[in-house]
Amino acid sequence: MSDAHEHIDKLMQELRRGTITIGALSQLYEPQYGYSLVTTLKEKGVQVEPGTLYPLLRRLEKQGVLESKWDTNETRPRKYYVLSQTGKEVFDLLRKEWQSIVESMNNLMRERGE
Amino acid sequence: MEMIGRYVYAVTKRLPEAQRKDVADELSGLIEDMLEERVQGREITEEDVEGVLLELGHPRTLARKYRGSKKYVIGPELYDLYMLVLKIGLISAVSVFTIIFMIQVILNPMNILDYFVNFIVSFVTIIPTVIGWTTLGFALVEYFGAGKLEHIHLDKGWKPSSLAAVPDPKRQIKRSEPIAGIMFYVLIMVILAFSNDYFGIWIFQDGEFSGIVPFLNEESYGLFLLLILIVFGFGIVKECLKFMYEKWTFSLVGFTAIVNLISIALILFMITSVQFWNPYFMNELVQHGFVNGGSDDFETVRIIWEQSTFWILIFLMFGLVWDIVAGFMKVRKAK
Repeated sequence: MSDAHEHIDKLMQELRRGTITIGALSQLYEPQYGYSLVTTLKEKGVQVEPGTLYPLLRRLEKQGVLESKWDTNETRPRKYYVLSQTGKEVFDLLRKEWQSIVESMNNLMRERGE
Repeated sequence: MEMIGRYVYAVTKRLPEAQRKDVADELSGLIEDMLEERVQGREITEEDVEGVLLELGHPRTLARKYRGSKKYVIGPELYDLYMLVLKIGLISAVSVFTIIFMIQVILNPMNILDYFVNFIVSFVTIIPTVIGWTTLGFALVEYFGAGKLEHIHLDKGWKPSSLAAVPDPKRQIKRSEPIAGIMFYVLIMVILAFSNDYFGIWIFQDGEFSGIVPFLNEESYGLFLLLILIVFGFGIVKECLKFMYEKWTFSLVGFTAIVNLISIALILFMITSVQFWNPYFMNELVQHGFVNGGSDDFETVRIIWEQSTFWILIFLMFGLVWDIVAGFMKVRKAK
């Protein structure tokens, strides 16, 4: 049994790694700072470590998918991220790809379930 | 609270200078947010801080995530070549000092213990040296060529039609061939550089070694050594080309021809120069009692000595020209 758990852990890690980016992008039509994004995602059932998300946000910013701005008006300064123009285009395409993956995967899963 | 500063510092010190300030600010903000959520309005304790930092994980791991790309001393693009060069270097080095050890023992069997100790010591000193320099060289290439190397190996623009042909066995150059060639050149170079004195006729009297009559002129040897090393250097270049091409092609034959012609020119210049050979060769032979002055033997040896330049030249040139012709024929045959 513990063997199965080990496999599951590894596979889930890979699966999450692939979905975190798309999950984060989906919530960034409106500017959010890192920790608020962690909370939003958690509320919607997507667990993500801040230690994974923060570096990811920086990387996406560097790639030009996200833009960022420091907001210094609040109690403590926070860096807000939002989809850039390119980012919006990317995400629209990504959403379609995701839908088709979900459909295909659902089909595959159904076959086994019978 | 001071612990937060220490944590942030531990992460950012592992990041590039330009990112440090920004990451530090963002990370401090994150930690405060996490603390706030954890305590829900009550006083923040040391345990809370520790809990949050434990949740974020080891600073090294976090820094690695921020850096993204993996760091290599010698990356996967260079690794194969690095191992190859290292192997050639090590095998050459070991053969060189084994041969030196054997020569020393032949010359002076009484001191075998000393020589053996030196031999063992050279394992300890020379092998790390070879490994060290090879690694340093490759590490420098990796460091300065970091971005560019990836582009070389990008699989973009790859077409099945660009696959190299399966080598025709007649044209193929076995990998071991150039490697053996390079080792041979290195060996000869080292021997010539460090033990020119042994390059001559060894005189044994009553079964005991009594001296060497060198072939080469010891006074002008330094200058010629440079030229010799250049010639052998060209030889190594030639072997490297063979290694890269992996099969005989017209361009490879062209390159070998150029390298060989330069070598022939340099050898011609050296060998025909009066200062190249030991001018006292005959006299020294007589002194060592190898031949008696004026005897028939003396005449024979003198003629061989004087004619040898000519014949060595013929043989060398024949060899180098043959090298070109053989390569050319291998290309033709396979067509």
